[in-house]
Amino acid sequence: MKKFLIMFLCVIIFAFPLNVNATYNYDYMRNAIPSQAGYNVKNVLYFGMNEPQDIFFSGENFYIADTGNNRILVLDYNLENIIKIYDKFIFPNGKETQLNNPEGIYVSGEKIYIADTGNSRVIISDFNSEIIMEIEKPVSEIYDQNKTFIPEKILVDKSGNIYVISGNITTGCMMFSSDGDFTGFFGANRSGRTAENIRNYFVSDKKKSRRKRNIPTGINNFDISEDFIYTCTENSEKTSDIIKKLNSAGKNIFSDRNLHFGDYQSEYSNSGYKPPKISDIDISENGNINFIDSETGHIFQYDKNCKLLFIMGNISGQSGGFEKPSAIETAGKNIYILDSGKNNITVFSETEFGEKVHNAVDLYNSGYYAETLNLWLEILKYDGNYTYAYNGLAYAFLRNGEYKNSMKYAKLAGDSELYNKAFQEYRRIFLKENSGKILIIIFVISGIILIKKRGEKF
Amino acid sequence: MKNFTQFQWLKYTVTNIPDGFDDMYWKKSGSLKISFIILIMFFFGIIAKDRLYGFQFSADYERTFNIIPYIMKSIILFVAWTVGNWSVCTLLDGEGTIKNIFIYSAYAICPYVIQIYINLIFSYILVRDEYIFMQLIEITGTVWSVILMFSAVKAVHQYTLKKTFTAIILTLIMMLIMFIILILFMLLIQQILIFISEIFTEIIYRLRA
Repeated sequence: MKKFLIMFLCVIIFAFPLNVNATYNYDYMRNAIPSQAGYNVKNVLYFGMNEPQDIFFSGENFYIADTGNNRILVLDYNLENIIKIYDKFIFPNGKETQLNNPEGIYVSGEKIYIADTGNSRVIISDFNSEIIMEIEKPVSEIYDQNKTFIPEKILVDKSGNIYVISGNITTGCMMFSSDGDFTGFFGANRSGRTAENIRNYFVSDKKKSRRKRNIPTGINNFDISEDFIYTCTENSEKTSDIIKKLNSAGKNIFSDRNLHFGDYQSEYSNSGYKPPKISDIDISENGNINFIDSETGHIFQYDKNCKLLFIMGNISGQSGGFEKPSAIETAGKNIYILDSGKNNITVFSETEFGEKVHNAVDLYNSGYYAETLNLWLEILKYDGNYTYAYNGLAYAFLRNGEYKNSMKYAKLAGDSELYNKAFQEYRRIFLKENSGKILIIIFVISGIILIKKRGEKF
Repeated sequence: MKNFTQFQWLKYTVTNIPDGFDDMYWKKSGSLKISFIILIMFFFGIIAKDRLYGFQFSADYERTFNIIPYIMKSIILFVAWTVGNWSVCTLLDGEGTIKNIFIYSAYAICPYVIQIYINLIFSYILVRDEYIFMQLIEITGTVWSVILMFSAVKAVHQYTLKKTFTAIILTLIMMLIMFIILILFMLLIQQILIFISEIFTEIIYRLRA
């Protein structure tokens, strides 16, 4: 009895560890299930920041837009020391200028791009605080002159084009050439509800003008990776345009794939569900899509093909929890979360489980299905509910020619498309091996029927 | 034809489309027992169609199993058809009794029910590329059943072609009206139940206070 009691207590203690970062995942039926942690909180860092809004990793250093203190912080790779602080900039004519609530930062090719929100301008400077170029409110026919210019986030592509998200613009992000000329808008969200469009056919123009206009939601944040711009939108009504992958023509590549990002609404109860409010997105070096939901504090990681890998993080007062997560950045195997409420940086580092999954997923997405077989089996030892592993196993077995196993795992992964492929091969081999027997059976049955019919006639 | 068993009658009416039901009408045959069996098979078939098909054809497994929609889709629908048809056709000088309408309609949906079970077997043998064969079977079964239903209504009430059309259209309208009234009635009952329970709790509170 005593032994049993101790065992029982052990089970309770190990089964429900006190963890701020409750990690979970979704199975193929979209039920939230507890899962192994892919990332764990490594440490939490304070640098005397005040409502920081953006963090950028240039490959060597971290740049943080320390918005409340009107400055840009440069930190070293290990986030140990402040290397440099930018708060004053010098124009070519010698005039000095200061930042006012800078909310966006980007570094590319020896240039620092700063969205100086309070001064409604974009500053492009070199590393010695000398301003190369200043972009102010564009004078253009496409740009409504009644609207102020509120640059919030900024990024630059390979050819030097500058993309700026302005707080009051709903027609996408603003695009500037490398010379600072305004060239147009890029990647606007879709507007319109179908029901309203139908109703518009029956309503007079006069009535239509009185009704509230149907305006798309503005882009909230973006990131660039391999010529593709990923945008995220804070929209509580629709889940369609939350994450978009835009090609250089501004077309959303995800649009026809019927994808879902963020938390699923439970089928059983409405309580606890908050529609996602994604505040920042980041693409890591191997193409994984990371974004943070500022409403729930959950960090989501998807792979290249938009399959869910990990969910972690939480809104909480404890160390490791967030208050107002404002930006996410990845560098190497770590994820960095900037919190504008707690004024700190939370560093998440990859766990052993996370490393295994990433290895397997990288191989899987490069087409080396058969090589991932043992990795997936190992992953399932860590977490038997990991749906992606079943999917990967099904593919691996399919490549190895073990169709029966492939069918089994495809069924466990809930992937009927994959099951179909495996079944087709399985059936082909089955027919090849047993064609003689099947033919004999058919002959025998038809013979019996024929004889019976003859017997009836005579 | 005289010495047909009830099962042979079923086979005869289903396979002889233009006048199978007419012959059965004049011989005053048709079994209630077989009709019930067909109806129950129809009910299980509707469930199997959603739940038991081979995994390569079930794209989306639902998480919860609720039997009410399946009852609605099969039994209630069929009963509504029977009652609707009877109520319309008594006014249109139809000769069928409600029992006969039930039997004839059940015989008529037989190909549709058989189609579901054939497809159920095929769904374990075929792959997605060959889905067209299953579709072919489904369409054949459905069209066959529709034609049979038409001739069943025609035979059971001894109607002309034109009158059968009107009767069927009116029956469909009747079914719609029946469902609307049913929903209204259920909503009303709900309201009354809420009202009663509220009064009850109010009295309980007063008594305690």
